[in-house]
Amino acid sequence: MSMLEVRDLRVAYGAIEAIKGISLDVDEGQVVTLIGTNGAGKTTTLRTVSGLLRPVSGEILFDGQRLDTVKAHEIVKQGIAHSPEGRRIFPLMTVEENLELGAYTRKGDSIAKDVGAVFDRFPRLLERRAQKAGTLSGGEQQMLAIGRALMSSPRLLMLDEPSMGLSPIMIQLIFETIAELKSTGTTILLVEQNASAALALADVGYVLETGRVVLSGPGKELLKDENVRKAYLGED
Amino acid sequence: MQTFLQQLVNGVVLGATYGLVALGYTMVYGIVQLINFAHGEIYMLGGFGALFTYTVLLPGGTPVVLALVLMLLGGMVVSITAALLMERFAYRPLRGAPRLAPLITALGVSIFLQELVRNFYPAKSPRPFPQLVDPSHQFSLGASVEISAPRLLTVVVAVIGMVALSTFVRRSRTGRAMQATAQDPDTARLMGIDTDRIIVTAFVLGAALAAVSGLASGLQFGTVDPRMGFLTGVKAFTAAVLGGIGNISGAVLGGFTLGIVEVMATQYAPDPFSGGAWKDAWAFVVLILVLVFRPSGLLGERVAARA
Amino acid sequence: MQAPRLVRVAAPLIIGALVLSACGSKSESGSGSGNITLTLGVIAPLSGDLSAVGNGIKNGVELAIKQANENKTIKGVTLKLDAEDDTAKAEVGAQVAAKLVADSSVIGVVGPLNSSVAKSTAPVLSQANIASISPSNSNVDLTNRGVLATGGTQTRPYKSYFRVCATDDIQGPFAADYAVKDLGKKTIAIVHDKKAYGQGLAEAFAKQAKADGATVLPTETINPGDKDFSAIVTKLKAAKPDFLFYGGEYPEASLLTKQMKAGGLNIPLMGGDGVDAAEYIKIAGASANGDLATALGAPTDSLASAKQFLTDYKAAAYADPADPYGAASYDAANAIIKALAKAVGDGKKSGQAVRDEVTKEVQDSDFEGVTGKISFDQFGDTNTKILTVYSVKDGKFVAAKSGTFGG
Ligand SMILES: Nc1ncnc2c1ncn2[C@@H]1O[C@H](COP(=O)(O)OP(=O)(O)O)[C@@H](O)[C@H]1O
Ligand SMILES: [Mg+2]
Repeated sequence: MSMLEVRDLRVAYGAIEAIKGISLDVDEGQVVTLIGTNGAGKTTTLRTVSGLLRPVSGEILFDGQRLDTVKAHEIVKQGIAHSPEGRRIFPLMTVEENLELGAYTRKGDSIAKDVGAVFDRFPRLLERRAQKAGTLSGGEQQMLAIGRALMSSPRLLMLDEPSMGLSPIMIQLIFETIAELKSTGTTILLVEQNASAALALADVGYVLETGRVVLSGPGKELLKDENVRKAYLGED
Repeated sequence: MQTFLQQLVNGVVLGATYGLVALGYTMVYGIVQLINFAHGEIYMLGGFGALFTYTVLLPGGTPVVLALVLMLLGGMVVSITAALLMERFAYRPLRGAPRLAPLITALGVSIFLQELVRNFYPAKSPRPFPQLVDPSHQFSLGASVEISAPRLLTVVVAVIGMVALSTFVRRSRTGRAMQATAQDPDTARLMGIDTDRIIVTAFVLGAALAAVSGLASGLQFGTVDPRMGFLTGVKAFTAAVLGGIGNISGAVLGGFTLGIVEVMATQYAPDPFSGGAWKDAWAFVVLILVLVFRPSGLLGERVAARA
Repeated sequence: MQAPRLVRVAAPLIIGALVLSACGSKSESGSGSGNITLTLGVIAPLSGDLSAVGNGIKNGVELAIKQANENKTIKGVTLKLDAEDDTAKAEVGAQVAAKLVADSSVIGVVGPLNSSVAKSTAPVLSQANIASISPSNSNVDLTNRGVLATGGTQTRPYKSYFRVCATDDIQGPFAADYAVKDLGKKTIAIVHDKKAYGQGLAEAFAKQAKADGATVLPTETINPGDKDFSAIVTKLKAAKPDFLFYGGEYPEASLLTKQMKAGGLNIPLMGGDGVDAAEYIKIAGASANGDLATALGAPTDSLASAKQFLTDYKAAAYADPADPYGAASYDAANAIIKALAKAVGDGKKSGQAVRDEVTKEVQDSDFEGVTGKISFDQFGDTNTKILTVYSVKDGKFVAAKSGTFGG
């Protein structure tokens, strides 16, 4: 049984259907990536898993339990953390407060310890711990967003375009972080436009086009696929 | 100089009430972008709840301090109940509707509550309020600048209320969740924050502070009346905008600024535009000037808090 | 059990209805023992908050009618009363006025109580040229007196509208005379609420006080609904006035006087009839002591000429008191009765002719009523403008001085 199963999912914004029946699986310990052009439906898929959007039909199972009827604020308690597209850190709160909010559903002393762990992972954040998050650079905000997601001690980490808008050095750092998380056995559902880096890292990849899965398979194989190379890796 | 200082004291007292009520507008707006125009009526209900507690529930001869505490609790119960019902049945169903819908609903709720109180308290308006704190008891603040006991009490409870609220919002877990919801409600839900509950909390806290203000006003003026919420509501809303709506310190600063501007305009404005009638005009001149140079108010954030 | 009870309840109702309809038909046919029956209408609030005052008006008129019928003041005519309830609302006033116009036996009307109601009854009654005399309307517009303050030419808006009371515009000057001449006040602060009534009152007061030689400080204004007047009190205190006149109504006046006295400005506040209310004292408490208010007319028991009226009123055992307007209504009714007696004496007994003639004769009224001399100027205002200053003593308004003002 997969950790996360999405079956025949359909999601609509009003009358416009953005997800037209997709299915995907994420197994424990895997990194799964969703790639596709802008508007393909990647973000919509993650937001539906998180409960921010409700499907028109289909189902989402986490550990075999229905997730698509659980309220958004209760999903994080089940072990799913979501670092949203555009980072969405809380700009008027300090770095430390942002991290503490990541642990909103947890109680106890271990929170302080985990804040320390995030600072160990991203020393830049430690320097800026008392600074308003809105004043951080894009890369630092992305570190904060990932750190904040980790603060809930998730079993499944969903990252929506973590490399978007970052400098090449920062992109590299972010992917190194993801690789590191993978090596420690964290299950990750990664949405990326940077298809080559994502597929290089992923156990399984899904290619989305206008709300449908058009291709799927192990990351390495998709990386070699001619259509994928043409469409997503900018090769002719 | 003496007159100036006395007017400054007058302005601070006036501003304390505005600030306390403005907090309710600013919290709710900050979290759901709703201008709850019926908040003035919540303040009015706080005054009537306290009056009802005193006249109907308290036995004669209750010690003054105990009576005041119980009146405050009574006022809060009424204010908070009204705020909860309002949120649940008037505003929540309209979440996501065009902005105009909750605004018009707010006006309807406002009129409904005024009429409800008018009918529940059949007497000629305004209703006399027990003078538990002797208004003729004056405290001297140096060189014949004075403040009467109920006015001093108004300032003291307002400051306590403001400090308590800002500490709560900055330090407590729920307070942090309120800030998070205000800055980004969707992401707040991803953190596990029940934003519906946070919205209710904002209504409740705003109502509690409005009840403090309603009781203080009853003690200060010796009357409450069903229409009292309208004018105070408009002024408090202005104070919230002046300070930067959505910003808690801004509401307090806006309240005091507005109170002091009104008072100083009464005293010092040049002749054809002087006096109590023009004080509101001056208050709006200041509001407009502030908004021209700082469109988001004195302490409002320039950056959009939301992506 | 059920049926007999129903009958017991229904029977008196049915009989009552039959008697009423019989009365109605009699008055319209004008038959009987050679006497015709004509109707004097009353328009006043007979229900609601103001019903006690409204019923005082109705009772005053009823007493005058009873006496006229007993004394056969009008040869060959029995007068009857038709009292209509305007509920103190302008639109209801217009309806009952139209109802009275439609009844051809109605030859005159006493009322209404409120100026706002009069503004909708006066046009209707004037259209039919039915004389109407109010015991209590004080609004200047009803006789277009407002233009006098600005030096304009007064024209009469309603040709058959009269009143036997003083008007708002002379309350101010009357109060000023009292403050300056009787109390010897020298430096007077003026505050008003910017509403037509309050501002008019305050401006008229200020003008007369200056003419009487007092120093009048620059006018301060407040907003109706305001509660915190501390800034104005602080500002006024610096100018050291010895008197304050307030143009407006009691909710703000009571808070102003309280805050004045708490703020160390210990001078009397005077207002017009908008301040003359029990609530003023209830809210202001001890701060109200020594404050003053003017009101239209005079307390009936202070008038020597009203002794007999009060005895008769008492003898009739009415539920509601004669004050404030019972005596003035009695005078108003008598003005119409006297006019009707003359009209009937001239052979005008029915139709439009009698209405026209009554209006003409009311205009020429000239007799000593219980509240004073009853006569009207060419605009329908009384020539006898009686007012009273009340002052607060031990938590009550007590009449301090009544008088007339030649304005
Ligand atoms: N809030 C919204 N309202 C209406 N349509 C939306 C909204 N968000 C996304 N869409 C539409 O849904 C489709 C999928 O969008 P999205 O999930 O953001 O794509 P991706 O993340 O793959 O770029 C697009 O056509 C987009 O225009
Ligand atoms: Mg996207």
